[in-house]
Amino acid sequence: MNMFSSCMITALVILTLPIIMSSTKLYKNKLYPYYVKTATSYAFMISMIPTMMFIYSGQEMIISNWHWMTIQTTKLSMSFKLDYFSMIFVPVALFVTWSIMEFSMWYMHSDPYINRFFKYLLLFLITMMVLVTANNMFQLFIGWEGVGIMSFLLIGWWYGRTDANTAALQAVLYNRIGDVGFIMAMAWFQLNLNTWDLQQIFITTNDNFNLPLLGLLLAATGKSAQFGLHPWLPSAMEGPTPVSALLHSSTMVVAGVFLLIRFHPLMEHNQTIQTLTLCLGAITTLLTAICALTQNDIKKIVAFSTSSQLGLMMVTIGINQPYLAFLHICTHAFFKAMLFMCSGSIIHSLNDEQDIRKMGGLFKVLPFTTTSLIIGSLALTGMPFLTGFYSKDLIIESANTSNTNAWALLITLVATSLTAAYSTRIMFFALLGQPRFSPMILINENNPLLINSIKRLLIGSVFAGYIISHSITPTTIPQMTMPHYLKMTALAVTILGFILALELNLTTQGLKFNYPSNYFKFSSLLGYYPTIMHRLTPKTSLTISQKSASMLLDSIWLENILPKSISYFQMKSSTLISNQKGLIKLYFLSFMLTMILSLLILNYHG
Amino acid sequence: MLKIIIPTIMLIPLTWMSKPNMIWINTTTYGLLISLISLFYLNQPNDNTLNSSLMFFSDSLSAPLLALTTWLLPLMLMASQHHLSKEPLTRKKLYISMLILLQLFLIMTFTASELIFFYILFEATLIPTLIIITRWGSQTERLNAGLYFLFYTLMGSLPLLVALLYIHNFMGSLNFLMIQYWIQPLPNSWSNIFLWLACMMAFMVKMPLYGLHLWLPKAHVEAPIAGSMVLAAVLLKLGGYGMMRITTLLNPLTNFMAYPFMMLSLWGMIMTSSICLRQTDLKSLIAYSSVSHMALVIVAVLIQTPWSYMGATALMIAHGLTSSMLFCLANSNYERIHSRTMILARGLQTLLPLMAAWWLLASLTNLALPPTINLIGELFVVMSSFSWSNITIILMGINIIITALYSLYMLITTQRGKYSHHIKNIKPSFTRENALMTLHLLPLLLLSLNPKIILGPIY
Repeated sequence: MNMFSSCMITALVILTLPIIMSSTKLYKNKLYPYYVKTATSYAFMISMIPTMMFIYSGQEMIISNWHWMTIQTTKLSMSFKLDYFSMIFVPVALFVTWSIMEFSMWYMHSDPYINRFFKYLLLFLITMMVLVTANNMFQLFIGWEGVGIMSFLLIGWWYGRTDANTAALQAVLYNRIGDVGFIMAMAWFQLNLNTWDLQQIFITTNDNFNLPLLGLLLAATGKSAQFGLHPWLPSAMEGPTPVSALLHSSTMVVAGVFLLIRFHPLMEHNQTIQTLTLCLGAITTLLTAICALTQNDIKKIVAFSTSSQLGLMMVTIGINQPYLAFLHICTHAFFKAMLFMCSGSIIHSLNDEQDIRKMGGLFKVLPFTTTSLIIGSLALTGMPFLTGFYSKDLIIESANTSNTNAWALLITLVATSLTAAYSTRIMFFALLGQPRFSPMILINENNPLLINSIKRLLIGSVFAGYIISHSITPTTIPQMTMPHYLKMTALAVTILGFILALELNLTTQGLKFNYPSNYFKFSSLLGYYPTIMHRLTPKTSLTISQKSASMLLDSIWLENILPKSISYFQMKSSTLISNQKGLIKLYFLSFMLTMILSLLILNYHG
Repeated sequence: MLKIIIPTIMLIPLTWMSKPNMIWINTTTYGLLISLISLFYLNQPNDNTLNSSLMFFSDSLSAPLLALTTWLLPLMLMASQHHLSKEPLTRKKLYISMLILLQLFLIMTFTASELIFFYILFEATLIPTLIIITRWGSQTERLNAGLYFLFYTLMGSLPLLVALLYIHNFMGSLNFLMIQYWIQPLPNSWSNIFLWLACMMAFMVKMPLYGLHLWLPKAHVEAPIAGSMVLAAVLLKLGGYGMMRITTLLNPLTNFMAYPFMMLSLWGMIMTSSICLRQTDLKSLIAYSSVSHMALVIVAVLIQTPWSYMGATALMIAHGLTSSMLFCLANSNYERIHSRTMILARGLQTLLPLMAAWWLLASLTNLALPPTINLIGELFVVMSSFSWSNITIILMGINIIITALYSLYMLITTQRGKYSHHIKNIKPSFTRENALMTLHLLPLLLLSLNPKIILGPIY
């Protein structure tokens, strides 16, 4: 027992303290958000100790303590896996959450239930920590589902609004579809390998891992909003901005990618699944980037860009570079959370205005937010020596030099270029030019809660990539040599995207289409996907459930076959067979006749 | 076992001799005390059974169900207080006596060691339930519901009597404990197929199997709150319990006789849960969700593997507590809104925040959120059906998705959204109601800490 495990456990226990506190009087206190924020920051600082130790000595650990139950040969116990992935991710997530909590103290300060909001955020963080550190699939599933349900609660925070409720339900639905894959993988592992422990799964060999890996891929598709199950992520922007910053940038949505990274030992020799992952990621990254191009809601643009980056991470897993994908998760967390917070700052300052067409000229009134937004966008596009560069550039390089599916790689390159284009669009419309918002608004961003939280992530967005990629030991061999033009591709397409977008944006000032082109419609209607899937599928299934399941089967057939028909036949046959027609006179007559007859016969006999 | 049965019998004089203002509190307290006694049976020290006498025994399968039964009586009493407040005293006492009588029969059913004794008590539970439904239900349709309830279950279980007499004739005994050692594999013949059907149909109707489930939504909807609670929580579990007990006698016929019923259950669980998506009536929704969950239990029992039995037992207990809690919540809505229609109760979270918390927790347990015992049950069932046939995962998966959907649909429709004006002047939630929800939820959460005690026989 050394500092390693005890510090890690301390960090996790500190997070639970405010939850326990919520059953005491302190929960009524106005300082509760402050406690939560402080607890998170302490947890971050303490978790840095084991991370430093890990970086220094490469020490990994498994803590296995509370024995939950043993079923036949399967032992289930609470166990934490403190390895490369969890040790790096935990401090990153805690750091980002710390900033977001400080930010939400500013953003949500007028909400009457701010304490509950903070409790939800913290519960979410705890489930995320459970997910990341879990060492067996059941514990992972607890975190996995917990994250989903907390997202339901947080997205539906403003429960009076129908849109918020719909978005929350949508998130749960898409996640549930993914969960089926997870459950199938669990069942398969239990059946074939007889274990849920990660190490045991990895050391046991089996010929064919296609089925469980497909399940896990489906799970990741649901959680990380990959193509097919992607619409929930942009819809989830109905939630408060801090929720989007926490859940939909750096923690929950990367859980799917994280899952695939965790199960990478099974995936690295399975070409089929890798190709599937690659294609799925590539389609996602392109489609969502296209959708991001024409959105006018600032949060939706950032959401689509998250989706696009998640697709990029999937591509990275598809080309068999899980450590690189993981690095991108970590770097992405900083600048994406900051982008969300900057858009939150803008939205809040403009009295809940989210439309970038009604912004403009914000660089004068919101200089700090503008700076951060621009740096965040540049980091997102992979500007050299900002955080995003260290992971994104590597990803594009290794994609370019790998010899897998060329189309998928080409699509990814196009999406990279589009990243620059929609980032430019945000900057151009929201920050530059003439103000288009209402002149009556009093704008003030000089609140330490806002400034400090964004500042912290700003520093992270500039330096974190350098620090992380330089301190962790390389695990897969990076591409050492490549032609000059391949090295420059990532930068070239990004600059191309920038220039094109800038030119296009400038033309919009003078020219206007008479009617929108079909490409524009495709992009602004999100590839027609929600229109088809959100109308056709529910309509069909609900009609079927109403017409066939409820009316036809339950109310008509089952009712008629058994009870109704039995009673009908009984009634018919009884009226048919019976000679009781209510003819009282006749009955009495027959009685009398029989009486007389019997008397006569008896008499005669006697 | 007498230490549970005699106190339960004595509850009836307690009811009739209590002062008018003490009838509820007395019976509830004593009911809770009795349920504490039953908790001892959860400790099954070895793999054998605890034989109390020649008539009664308990093992790790019946003990959790026994505990559930005794736990539920005080909860039913707590739930019906408001609903009966306008009734005259004698009728209140009669109602309580009926609940106690039902409890008595249920306790004896779960602990009977003779099959024929089990059968008699199994049928006897119909009487108090029927009286509760048809006497205290709130609408005229209750008579029809009572008719459906009685005739479906009776028609199902009469062949069982014949089958039992036959089995007794050639086995010489109907004792559960002995019969499992004496039983010979049944040869495959037409008469044995009918024997199988006769033995299983009684319990299939009780569960209920899809196709024979029509009585359940009607009975649930029309019954007063205590009736709905006990129906969902315990009476349906009689079917599962009986199936698990009697399948030991029916090997190896079950191997192929199971197929049509498995198909029907797998199909039916999707059908019933999709019916839930279109329900406007809150109680009917919960009733259909019970049918869907019980279909899982039928599948699990018919698969007949250790994991599936564990899953079935866990799911029965979990569903018992969850659906009973949902009915209580529906009732607390009904007492305020005076309608079961969900849309009329929308936006209640604004007015009754604590009740909304209970709703949330109940919905989450209903959709099997880890690490609740509902999940353990469902997961085990899904796993055993996956091992039976990989394709079932598609159906199970669809069911998992729809279950989550309708649970949250129920939550969102009743709690979220803007509240409507007619609910502005509703009563706040009572301590009694909050205590009721807590008493439902507490066992659910505590059992999640140690699910082993409700997994039934762990082989």
